[in-house]
Amino acid sequence: MVKGKYLLMGVLIVIIGIVFAVAVFPSEEKRVKKRFHLLSGWVSKSAEENSFTMLKKMKDIGTLFLEPCELKAPQESLSGSYTRQEISAYAGAARSHFSQLDFKLYDLHIAFPEREVAKVTLTTRLIGKLTSGEQVDEVRELECLLKKIDKKWFFSQVEVIEVLKK
Amino acid sequence: MAIHRRIRQFFFPSLTPMFLTRVFLVSLFAYLFFSYLCIPFTIQGISMEPTYPNGGVNFCWRLRYLLSEPQRHDVVAVRFAGSQVMLLKRVVAQEGEQVEFRAGRLYVDGKEIEEPYLRFPCDWNLPSRRVEKDCLYVVGDNRSMPIENHHFGQTSKIRVMGGPLW
Repeated sequence: MVKGKYLLMGVLIVIIGIVFAVAVFPSEEKRVKKRFHLLSGWVSKSAEENSFTMLKKMKDIGTLFLEPCELKAPQESLSGSYTRQEISAYAGAARSHFSQLDFKLYDLHIAFPEREVAKVTLTTRLIGKLTSGEQVDEVRELECLLKKIDKKWFFSQVEVIEVLKK
Repeated sequence: MAIHRRIRQFFFPSLTPMFLTRVFLVSLFAYLFFSYLCIPFTIQGISMEPTYPNGGVNFCWRLRYLLSEPQRHDVVAVRFAGSQVMLLKRVVAQEGEQVEFRAGRLYVDGKEIEEPYLRFPCDWNLPSRRVEKDCLYVVGDNRSMPIENHHFGQTSKIRVMGGPLW
């Protein structure tokens, strides 16, 4: 009986240790996911967003990208290498057309084809209201490459995958 | 008395190991069935109206095309990066066929195709194009909007997740 009690306590301590280790030292996958969630939060826009928050978010979006970052989105007239400033400016201009914007992420599949390189495929959904009052609901599949530099993950390539080709 | 006891047992079951095992197995089966075989979804958007109205609930039956290929007029669920966001569209042409729209009418290999499921007027014009190998040409049933505002086109067969249950 006493042996069983010690065994149970040992198992509990091991479980708590594992949970603590996972929480304190997140896996690379979690770190990559966190970058996407930051992007989602910074692209999204609430109806009450003030100019200060807008400028900060614009600047923050740029910090997630590598200098330069390759964008392949011919449908959105974006193709080529862009600097952080250009990406921030583009994001700011795009966000300014919306009075409200929600950028949601689904089905994130993360793979590590090389050391310090992450390949992520995901579905993004942009639901918003334009300043003209028109509702927008757009879904895209993205394929992103992220590179790890100084223990941080940065977007080095973003490609919009064409699911339906007219 | 026995019936009374059975009713009570049904609503307030004793937490016996057998009962807990049964609950676990039923939960596991339900999770696997509704996650991988029969995926519930809500319809968001008007592109398949009036066949599938906005806000409707349905299930994507993954085994629909296990032993057969999608045929013309079938309604299929097309995936993006995963199963969380899908497009519900109707197959209008298969690989190798020439598809075009003339004054809102669908032509496949030069022949006009009857589409009894259409209810709204359509004035689309789309030059003829060949459906590539291992692809399907899919369109929504609601073609009342301008052609540039409707998501349709050819998609790879591997993106077809299945079909709606009803």
